[in-house]
Amino acid sequence: MQLKPAPSQLRRRLIAASCALLSTSAARSQETSAPGFVGRVLKDWQFESALAYYHEDGRIQAIEPVVNASHDYGDGGNVSLNFTFDALSGSSPNGALPSHAPQTFASPSAKSFASARHPFTTRPGNLPVDPSYSTARAAGGAEWTLPLTRLSRITLGGKLSIEDDFYSGTVNASFAHDFNDKNTTVTFGINDESDIIQPIGNTPVPLSNYAAFQKEGNKSKNGVGALLGLTQVMTRNWLTQLNVSVDRFSGYLNDPYKIASVLDAGGTTTGYIYENRPDTRTRKSVYFENRVGSEHASVDLSLRYMTDSWGIRSETAQVRTRWWTPDRQHYFEPTVRWYHQGSADFFMPWLPAVDQADTRYISADPRLANFHALTYGLKYGYELGNRLHRSSSEFTVRLEYYQQTLAINNRVPDGLQGLNLYPGLKAVLIQFGWSY
Amino acid sequence: MEERPGGLLAVKFTAMACPCEVLIHGSDPTRTMGLGVMAAQEAWRIEHKFSRYRDDSVVAWIHGHRGSKCTLDAETTALLDFARQCFEMSDGRFDITSGILRRAWKFDGSDRVPEVATVAALLPSIGFAKLQWDPPDLLLPEGMELDFGGIGKEYAVDCAYDILASYCNAPFLLNFGGDLRANCAPPQGPWRIGVERPDSDRTAAMLLDLESGALATSGDSHRFLMKDSVRYSHILDPRTGWPVVDAPRTVTVAASSCTEAGLLATLAMLQGAGARAFLEEQGARHWIL
Amino acid sequence: MKIFNIVLLLTLGGSAALTGCSTVGVKPWERDILSRTDMRPDGAGLDDAIDEHLYFSKEASSGGRSFGGGGCGCN
Repeated sequence: MQLKPAPSQLRRRLIAASCALLSTSAARSQETSAPGFVGRVLKDWQFESALAYYHEDGRIQAIEPVVNASHDYGDGGNVSLNFTFDALSGSSPNGALPSHAPQTFASPSAKSFASARHPFTTRPGNLPVDPSYSTARAAGGAEWTLPLTRLSRITLGGKLSIEDDFYSGTVNASFAHDFNDKNTTVTFGINDESDIIQPIGNTPVPLSNYAAFQKEGNKSKNGVGALLGLTQVMTRNWLTQLNVSVDRFSGYLNDPYKIASVLDAGGTTTGYIYENRPDTRTRKSVYFENRVGSEHASVDLSLRYMTDSWGIRSETAQVRTRWWTPDRQHYFEPTVRWYHQGSADFFMPWLPAVDQADTRYISADPRLANFHALTYGLKYGYELGNRLHRSSSEFTVRLEYYQQTLAINNRVPDGLQGLNLYPGLKAVLIQFGWSY
Repeated sequence: MEERPGGLLAVKFTAMACPCEVLIHGSDPTRTMGLGVMAAQEAWRIEHKFSRYRDDSVVAWIHGHRGSKCTLDAETTALLDFARQCFEMSDGRFDITSGILRRAWKFDGSDRVPEVATVAALLPSIGFAKLQWDPPDLLLPEGMELDFGGIGKEYAVDCAYDILASYCNAPFLLNFGGDLRANCAPPQGPWRIGVERPDSDRTAAMLLDLESGALATSGDSHRFLMKDSVRYSHILDPRTGWPVVDAPRTVTVAASSCTEAGLLATLAMLQGAGARAFLEEQGARHWIL
Repeated sequence: MKIFNIVLLLTLGGSAALTGCSTVGVKPWERDILSRTDMRPDGAGLDDAIDEHLYFSKEASSGGRSFGGGGCGCN
C-alpha cells in the first residue's frame, strides 16, 4: 500500500470521464426510479398490434383487430398476453347448389317456413347464400415460458374464445431442450381443446330434411394434439425446422348451418338435408421449413403435408422473401402460397334422392372438396425509430389476394347443365400493423 | 439471502456469469431483500442490454445495423464515449472493438497458440478509430464488432451502487464477481476483502481493508495459454493482436468508482512489465500479485 | 399415413443424431443474422396468426407450424 501522491493527468482525465459516464446513468436512474405504472409498463413490455380487413368476393366482410403484449423476465422467462376480436358480416354459402329455379331458405333461427321472419330467395343460377350472416367473436390467450435449466424450458398456455354460437377453451404445454451449443432444439408439446356448440335456432338433426325444421340440443367436441419439433441451425445464414404433429377430435364435428341439395334423376332440386360428418377425426401432418438470410434479405420456404381419417390429403408450399433498403429503414416482403387438398371421403356436392336412405355421412361444404388455392401477398414495413433497441418499433402494411378454385368432377346431371356450380372463392386481405 | 457475522445480511445472485452479492448492515431482512433485488435487476438490465450473446441487446442491434448509421440512446452513447476516452488515454491499448480476437485466441490452458496469419487477418477489423462516432450517431463498419465486456461489470457495480445509495443509508457493499464498491464501513470496522492469490490455495488470500469506495481486479490466473514455457495472458494488445508481454498475474486497484478502478487495473495490465510503474504514476492504491 | 410414420421416425432419429453431432451449427457470436425477427420461426407472430385464422376458416388443414388452429367456430 502506497501513500497517495497527486493524481496524474491521465488519472484526472479518467476520473472526469467516469464521473461523466456515471452522472448520466445516475440522472437516468433518478428520473426512472419512480416512473408511473403506465411508464413502467411501456418500458418493460413489448406490444404488437394489427388491424386486418377481409373482403370475400362481394360476399363476406370481416374486421379483426389483434393485440399482443409480451414481457421478458431477466432469467429468460417470458409472459405474453393476446386479445383478438373479429366481426363478420355478409352472406355465407349454405352448401346448396345453384339451380335453374329460384330457391327459398329461412334463416337458422326460424322454426318453420311459415313463421320465418327473414326468408331469402336465391335467384336462378346464383349460389345460395344466407345474406344476413353476422357474427362477432372475442378471444384471449396467455402464455408463460419458464426456464428450467440453462438449456431447457417449459411453456404453458391457455386460450378462450367466445362467440354467440360457439365457445372454446384450449390449454397447451410444451417442453424445449437445446443441444450442441444451442444449435439444435427439440420441442415436444401437447394441447387439449374443448368446445361447446350452441347453434342459433338449435342444432339441426343430422341428415334430417331441411323443411322439417327438426332440432335438438347443444353439442360439444373435444380435441387433443401433440407436436414434436426439431429446429437446427445449419450455418450462420440458414436455419431449418421439422415438425410432426397429430391431433384427434371427437364429438360433434358437423357444421350446423350447412345443407346439401337433394336431386332427382333428372337433376332437379327436390329438397335439402342437413349434413352429417363422422364423430371422430384424426389428423397427421409434417411441416418442414427453411430460412436463409443475408445482411439485407431473407428467404423462407415452407412445406406441409397433411392426411386425416376423413380421407383428406393436403399439400402446402409457401415462399416468403424479405428485402431491406440499404439504410434498413424500409422492407418489402412478397409471399406466394400454393395449397392443394383432396376431398373428404364423404364429400358430395349433392345427394341423389335414390341414395338418401343409405347415406350415413355427407357434406357439400366446399371446404371439404378437392380444390387448389393460391395466395399472393406483399408486405411493407417501416422502421419507426429505436425503442430500447430490443425490437425496433415498426409500422407495416400487408396486402393479400387469395383465390380458391374447386375441382369437383362429378358428372353434372342434365338438370344442372349451364350453371356455374362451383364458383370457388376470391378474397382480399388488407392489414395495418404497429409494434412498439 | 444469508446471515454473515457482524450483523450483516447478504443477498446472493448470479449475473454476468459470476457470483454476485449485496451485503447490508443493520437492515431488516425484508428491506435487505428488496435492496438486493433492485441491485440484481440493475445488474441483469445492464447485462441484457450490453451482452454480445443476446439477440435483443443494444450490441446485437448495433451489429445488425453494420454499415448504416444508428442513433444510440443516452446510456449507450455515454458508455461508448467513455470507451473512446479510454482508447485515447491508453494510446489504443484499451479498445472495445478488439473482441473479435477471441476467434483466434481461446484461453483454455492448452498450448494452441494461433498462427501469426490468423491473428493478422483480424487486425483490419479492429480499431476504435475506424468507427464513425459522432455522438449519438454511430456507424459500425462491416466486419467489426463491439464488446463492452471490459467495462460492463464495473459499470454495473456503479449503477447498482447509485440506486442503492439513493434508497439506503446503512453501510453496504456490492460485490459482482470481484468488482466491489462500498458506501461506508460498518460499525465494527472496515470491510475485509480477500483477493485470491494466483497459483495458490484459495484460502491463502491477501486480505485488504476497504472503508469506502471501489475495488476492481484484473487478472489472468484462470485464463491463459502455456507454450514453450511462455505464459500468454488473456490480456491482448489490440494494436498487435498478441497478448501483452510480462503482464502481472493479478492487479487490484482501489478508486472512488468501480469503473475508474476497473479501467486502471485493465490499463495497468496492458502496460505489461510497466504495470507497477504505471499505477504508481497514477497515484492509485494498488496491489500487484 | 405410412409416409407420416416414416417422417416421424426420421424426426425422432434425426433429433437423437443431431443431439450428439456438434459439427453442424454456429458459435454464439455468429448468431447475428439468425437473431433477426425474419429469421426466427416465431418471428411473424401476428401475421401468421391472422393468416392461420383465414386458412382455418376456408380450408380443411390447419396448423403444422405450431399447434393446429381451432379455437373458433369458423370451420
